[in-house]
Amino acid sequence: MYKLVPSVCSYCGTGCGVLFKVLDGKLLGTLPLKTHPVNEGKLCIKGWNLHEFVNSPLRLKAPLIRINGRFAKVTWDRAIRYTAEKFREVMSQHGPDSVGFLASAKITNEDNYLIQKFARAVVGTNNVDHCARL
Amino acid sequence: MTLKRMRFLKELFAFMGLGGRLRLEWISSAEAQKFVKVVSEFTEEIRALGPNPVGRYTCESGKKIGRRAACPTAPDPVLADTAPGPHTVPRAAAEGR
Amino acid sequence: MHEKVLNLLETGKVDIFLGYKMMAGHPLPHAFGRHNPVEVQEMILGPARYPLEKLAVEILAARPDLKIGILARDCNRRALNVLTVHQQVAPGQVQVLEVSCCPSPLQRHADCSSLEAKEFGAGKKEIGIDNNLTPDRLEAMEPTERFSRWMYEFQKCLKCYGCRDICPVCFCRECSLEHEDLIGTGDLPPEVPIFHLVRAVHMAGRCIDCGLCEDACPVDIPLRLLYRKVNELVADLFDYKTGLSLEQPPFSLLFDKTAQPAAAPHGA
Repeated sequence: MYKLVPSVCSYCGTGCGVLFKVLDGKLLGTLPLKTHPVNEGKLCIKGWNLHEFVNSPLRLKAPLIRINGRFAKVTWDRAIRYTAEKFREVMSQHGPDSVGFLASAKITNEDNYLIQKFARAVVGTNNVDHCARL
Repeated sequence: MTLKRMRFLKELFAFMGLGGRLRLEWISSAEAQKFVKVVSEFTEEIRALGPNPVGRYTCESGKKIGRRAACPTAPDPVLADTAPGPHTVPRAAAEGR
Repeated sequence: MHEKVLNLLETGKVDIFLGYKMMAGHPLPHAFGRHNPVEVQEMILGPARYPLEKLAVEILAARPDLKIGILARDCNRRALNVLTVHQQVAPGQVQVLEVSCCPSPLQRHADCSSLEAKEFGAGKKEIGIDNNLTPDRLEAMEPTERFSRWMYEFQKCLKCYGCRDICPVCFCRECSLEHEDLIGTGDLPPEVPIFHLVRAVHMAGRCIDCGLCEDACPVDIPLRLLYRKVNELVADLFDYKTGLSLEQPPFSLLFDKTAQPAAAPHGA
């Protein structure tokens, strides 16, 4: 019915503890986690409004591909296949340094490691950056 | 109630260190002389207090009030060691003790 | 304590009881329900403080059919009183299980460990304001020094709105601090000292001195000290004791509706 769920803020790499207010399965709001060692009960304005994007009607819930000039919802399989094809096409014409990889502060260390590993070992480029300026 | 509200605001301003810059008077439209007297008196009082210190935190454009970073031309009013001006900065006060 | 909560749940007096429980190594607020009576034994008192009454009022706004009980410290109790006189919740709509632990001058108890004095660095003490000062100690300083110290504190503001968001008695749908005509909304940093003074004035007759705003402030602005002065003024000038009873009307600076104290004639 009503739950308070501890979690970690997904905005930047700091990793502040947050507490989500959930009523009947719907996210109502965010509170700072008072005893969390990182933020000690404090949050920035983005952390305080963490719940907003989850319920936002503008949130993308499925990948979109531009077909005939209009975005169309597609499955993840199709989106990934499409991206891989395009990557291969560009790389076969211009070499691996013609593509780049943007990692994220919102994902885990391990995921970030995998992205750079994929860029360097599989694709063969050092074009890796991340969104610390988020 | 206006009287009490004004006292509330006056005391809040005084607590902030902005005391003496607020005044409440009842002046009828027939009391021209009282109006002149009150305005002249208060003008003198305000002048004696010096410029409004909030102005020291305002950019030249007058638009933004905030940190020095937001308006690079204004000196930092808190950290400036030099030229204390009419308002002693606390650091200078601490050194003088 | 546990038996009382179980009793409330089992007799149907409440559907949800908001208390605290250790979860994932943290003392967290938790909604205890009838479906899991064993869990009630795990209820603890603290040490963390969350605005449980604010959570309760939020739940009731979405689900008016529910009956809610909360574990209430003195500050929760006072906040609930303020919310009740402001008609955010009907009297008795939220069941209260009281625990005493409060050092605020609004209460006589003095054994709350959640508001222990924090230590601050030398820099803040020299050019800013030590959050542990009392209004009297601050008033002993020169006005120019006081102003400069307040401005130092206010200028640190990140405009996170945390003080408002955590505040148990900030229930307005529309907030002056987000009003385009009153405070520039998109600009950072906020306009000082107006931003903080507007909030201070709005805390008149509402602030119940729980200190959650100061706890939530990422830059340690001595908000409790400021609102404590506001509260002193409200008590001295208007004879209004915030949150101490359900009988008084809501306090208002803007309208004449506050009940006149018996000694009003010589004051006016």
